Amino acid sequence: MLALAALSALFIAGCGNDPNLEPLHKTRADGSPWEVRYAAMPDDPRSLDPQFAYDQMSHRLLEMVMDTLLEYHPFKTDPYEVMPALLEAMPQRSKNADGTETYTCKLKRGIPFQDDPCFPGGKGRECTVRDIEYAWKRMADPKVECPALSALQDYIAGLGEAYDAAKKAGKFDYSKPLEGFEIVDDQTFRIHLLKAYPQIVYWMAMQFTSPVPPEAVAYYDGHEHPDGPHGKMVQRPEFKWHPVGTGAYHMVEYKPASRVRMVRNPNYHTVVFPSDGYPPERADFLRQFAGMPVPLVDEVQITIFRETTPIPILFKQGYLDGMGVGKDAYDRTVTTTHELTPEFKARGVRLEKDLDVSTFFISLNMQDPVLGTNKKLRQALSCAYDGQSYVDIFWNGVAPVAQQLMPPGIFGYDKNYKNPYGYDLEKGKKLLAEAGYPNGIDSKTGRQLELTMDSSATGSEERQMTEFVQKGFQQLGIRVNVVEDNFAQLLAKEDNGNFQILDGTGWGADYPDPENFYMLFNSRNFPPEGKNACRYKNPEFDKVFDQMATMDNTPERLELVNKLRGMLAEDCPQIFNFHKAFYTVVQPWARRTSTNMLLEGAMKYQQVDPVMRARLQKEWNRTPAWPPYVLAFLVAGAVGYAVWFNRHRNV
Amino acid sequence: MFSYIIRRLLYAIPILFGVMLITFLLFFIVQPPEFRARAILGEKARPKQVQDWLHDHGYDKPTYINGRLGVAIDKRATPGKPFYDSLFVNQMKRLATFDFGLSDKTGLPIAQTFLDGVGPSLCLTLPAFVVGFFMAVALSLYQVFVRYSALDRFGIFLCVACMSLPPMIYMFVGQSFLALQLPYFPAYGFDLHGWSTVKFLLLPVSLMVIMNLGYDVRLYRTIFLEEITQDYVRTALAKGVPQSRLLFVHVLKNGMISLITLVVAHLPLLIMGSLLMENFFGIPGLGNALFHAIQLGDAAMVNAFVYLGAILYIVGLILTDICYAFADPRIRLS
Amino acid sequence: MPIWLQNTLVIASFALTAWLLRRGARNERWQRAWKIMKTDLPGMVAGVIIAAYLLVGGADLLKLSPTRSVLDFLMVDVVRLHDEPTKASYSAPFADGTFSITKPEPLKFPGRHILGTTQIGKDTFVQALKGSSTALLLGGLTSAIYLPLGILLGIGSGYFRRWVDDVVQYIYSTIMAIPTILFLIAFIMVFGKGVGTMAWALALTTWIGLCRLLRGETLRLTERQYVLAARALGQSHWKIISSHLLPNVMHLVLISFVLGFSDVVLTEAILSYLGVGTPIGTASWGQMIDGARGELSREPLVWWNLTASGVALFGLVLSLNIFADALRRGFDPKR
Repeated sequence: MLALAALSALFIAGCGNDPNLEPLHKTRADGSPWEVRYAAMPDDPRSLDPQFAYDQMSHRLLEMVMDTLLEYHPFKTDPYEVMPALLEAMPQRSKNADGTETYTCKLKRGIPFQDDPCFPGGKGRECTVRDIEYAWKRMADPKVECPALSALQDYIAGLGEAYDAAKKAGKFDYSKPLEGFEIVDDQTFRIHLLKAYPQIVYWMAMQFTSPVPPEAVAYYDGHEHPDGPHGKMVQRPEFKWHPVGTGAYHMVEYKPASRVRMVRNPNYHTVVFPSDGYPPERADFLRQFAGMPVPLVDEVQITIFRETTPIPILFKQGYLDGMGVGKDAYDRTVTTTHELTPEFKARGVRLEKDLDVSTFFISLNMQDPVLGTNKKLRQALSCAYDGQSYVDIFWNGVAPVAQQLMPPGIFGYDKNYKNPYGYDLEKGKKLLAEAGYPNGIDSKTGRQLELTMDSSATGSEERQMTEFVQKGFQQLGIRVNVVEDNFAQLLAKEDNGNFQILDGTGWGADYPDPENFYMLFNSRNFPPEGKNACRYKNPEFDKVFDQMATMDNTPERLELVNKLRGMLAEDCPQIFNFHKAFYTVVQPWARRTSTNMLLEGAMKYQQVDPVMRARLQKEWNRTPAWPPYVLAFLVAGAVGYAVWFNRHRNV
Repeated sequence: MFSYIIRRLLYAIPILFGVMLITFLLFFIVQPPEFRARAILGEKARPKQVQDWLHDHGYDKPTYINGRLGVAIDKRATPGKPFYDSLFVNQMKRLATFDFGLSDKTGLPIAQTFLDGVGPSLCLTLPAFVVGFFMAVALSLYQVFVRYSALDRFGIFLCVACMSLPPMIYMFVGQSFLALQLPYFPAYGFDLHGWSTVKFLLLPVSLMVIMNLGYDVRLYRTIFLEEITQDYVRTALAKGVPQSRLLFVHVLKNGMISLITLVVAHLPLLIMGSLLMENFFGIPGLGNALFHAIQLGDAAMVNAFVYLGAILYIVGLILTDICYAFADPRIRLS
Repeated sequence: MPIWLQNTLVIASFALTAWLLRRGARNERWQRAWKIMKTDLPGMVAGVIIAAYLLVGGADLLKLSPTRSVLDFLMVDVVRLHDEPTKASYSAPFADGTFSITKPEPLKFPGRHILGTTQIGKDTFVQALKGSSTALLLGGLTSAIYLPLGILLGIGSGYFRRWVDDVVQYIYSTIMAIPTILFLIAFIMVFGKGVGTMAWALALTTWIGLCRLLRGETLRLTERQYVLAARALGQSHWKIISSHLLPNVMHLVLISFVLGFSDVVLTEAILSYLGVGTPIGTASWGQMIDGARGELSREPLVWWNLTASGVALFGLVLSLNIFADALRRGFDPKR
């Protein structure tokens, strides 16, 4: 046993502990060093089909491979702003007399697809309006199951009808034109909307609307074809595991549960590094890249970490360029005053705070006979939830406590607003008494009030979080029983309304608009069709919401948004937890350019200094020389003792 | 010999049927397919979509038989179809033909996940098994050599102590000290290309060897001890064969036979990889896939794993029987 | 479950175990074994340690109110080891302040946490003690299910043979064919987490070992002269089983009971790590070990949670194993 350990220790001393793969090349064609970034990802993508993928991991990879029509400006985050990417300019909006609207879009010329075997000669052809039309038709194809369809079919003409027709026929007819998508010429197309929907520009910044070459979908069918040398049968991947787009990178390797490797697309020239909108604190740093062709980095290696424990270890050893500072990594990287530890400071590591565009909440069932009818009880529960302590314990005090449904960065967010039913235990107890449960005892029956809380609890940390919330509610004197569900069970309960309190869900912005958040309480959005998990029904709210939804960002709209906020706070169908935020630490050689949270990494704008990394990695991974000797000594000792012992026994 | 093997194979059929029955009970009766449809289709599923999904997977068929079962008629029965067109029969057929279908969560073919995972899993478990086996044999032989001495008793105590620690502790401590405090090994990751594979595997393999050693050494020691009390050993001793020769030639040879028959049952199960190690060290094998399936509540995947595990176990049993038959010719004839 | 019922059940099961042991002690063979065991120092030490665990676990299972057990009372009101209020976070053993989250706050009970506190301010030492109650509960429930099952089917199949034997053999070889851990996972996944489900799952895998052991032993015993004689005298099956067979296999049951207990404790830890273990709010060692997953790569190191739960679990499992060895030697001195 010891011998094995000693041998392997000796062996490994020469082998190194770098878990990353060798880069594809040492230098570029012009002799300058080949630049690689090493990133981490917590899980596998669910699909890389741009019209189907809706999860964060897929988004992260697709963003590198697919260009979108519009794109979030990497630096303008307050408020968020979109800029043209594949389009030459922002779409032209025109209102028609009958209430419908038309957006005219013009595509950039000469943008080629990535080189891929699905094209003749393996050379990527130019992307045209037809490819965009094809992608939009795919959204309506029942086989694709596009999650954006349910939202878009109310607005884009003919989308819903195309879906229904295909459903009836059993097959989508791609030769038929899509009513809402009019091709004007090779470069121009018009989108016809049934009613005003200014949020459409945000959808054009998502991969759902990205162009897809029909050749790629036909080519990557998941069957065997004679592609190999000498006509050998080789299985092609399915399209959803082999995306082809116009993006800055193409995916050369994807091993599920292990890693992804992306390499630069040499023909990429859709956008260049923006020269405006820099946040003042990093303007000096960003200016040097202005106007440069992107991507700046040649290769991106992404390791999939299903287990989070090793991430801080690898970061410390310099094998990851950056990481989000989770609970486990916090104390080793950040000091009590929200600064980096001296050790990391000396290394030149940077600490940055990222604020996600999301809100987490605890849903209360408005159809529950106990909770739904008793506003005071809901308010009391809201008062018993100690948001600040929760955030301090589980989010290291980084995430802001949510005072309202919308997170910062969205129109109508007011950072000075305070929830009237924020944490105040005394007030909560008073409200509970008014609700008919003084000290948690039902004044009618004399029994303790018992509530059931459903919670997602797969990890140990989630379990502790749930325990915290439970402990908080029970301070009111009531009893809260916890039912642990996995996420699927939780969603099922959300759908069928079979819960009292439901903890552990949140809402991340699809796009930065108040409509995307307040629709969660629209009574038309009851589950399973919609996401109004609380089953909140308030005609007044619906009326204001409908009015607000399609407005431009004017002071009148602000007033309506505030009105909605007030109604929710008073009715308390939901207890707002926090807006997700976290620290990110970044190695000195990989200072981040863009930190826009609506982009998943903005990888094409990121940069790296490979020379510095090579030097520092070596410096940080010096192994002491003595342990192998100590081990060898121990082994020799044990063997010696055994031999000695035998001598004495046999004598 | 051939007919003997055939006979053993036939014995396996009812057991395999029993396993299918258990998985059907668990994953289709206790947890009906509607539940899984929800898990797959996720937050945005409409009732219609759930129905479609059930239909596409053939899960909307009547549960046991199509038609009258005693007095109750299954409400999903369709008159036109034969009576055996039911969920139960179809499920049996699929398992028997190794058609595992798609994962509930990722939508990937489960068979593909299995094929992808076998390589990395074997990379981990096979070396750990081989090294562990030889180390355990060596240590247990030494213990038998010094049997009933204080050293032997201390050895047994160490073995029991080794067994009494949950495997996670080895992993946590191993990673913390050998990959973080003393950065000899990569803390995480895997790659299936020549030397770098070895680099990634050294730490998990060593940890796995150590965590299984206690149990194995204790077990092997009892086996060798049993061998040493046999008559032929006493005779040899009386004849003046030296202790060491006796041990390393006679006892080892005869003990090995029973050892190998014991160990051979575990061989097929090596394919399943290690549930704990693979996830912790990022080896994309079968154990990792299973771990992930558990975390996500992926019933189809767990179902397939249960069935696969049973098949591998039965293969192990048959291998054991064959080994016995080779070691003892009398069995072949009975 | 109402408190009085739970308390009654706990006391009743302790009493039942004690009565069974006393009953067994009338057996001549048990008396001989006890004589041998008395000279076995490690075994006796292990026995004392197990008794201590049982006492602590039992004290935590006896409730004074729905949220307070006798152990809580002893710890909080007698020894004065309080949990920190919700706000607190990790604190090191004997520390005066929390372990550097946003700012180190003074503890409400400085210097009182001999093994520090957990993430949400619970006293680690108390939690580790409370872990024994979960172990006891789980082990007790599991044994309560699998012992009767194993004894009944094992002796039944060995005694009646023929079709009874065939059916029992078929059932256990089918369950055995599924690797244990997979069976446990599938079972708990489908039936949902909970101590009850877990006990059933563990029982359904554990009875097999006992059943096979008893079957073999019964097969051997029924060939003995005195059983054959009893049969020839026309004694009823029940009489033969209860007065001739059962007393002669009970020592095997005792040994596998002790070993089964240690298996249950270890398996609980593994299942908790996999996320299909005990539910929230149960202070189990498995939960603690799982929670300590990332604590070892912290800096400074948070070692006390893993150490406390690890040592507590290790202590019990090791003692059980050593005690089982001692029992085995006692009953079978030749080996």
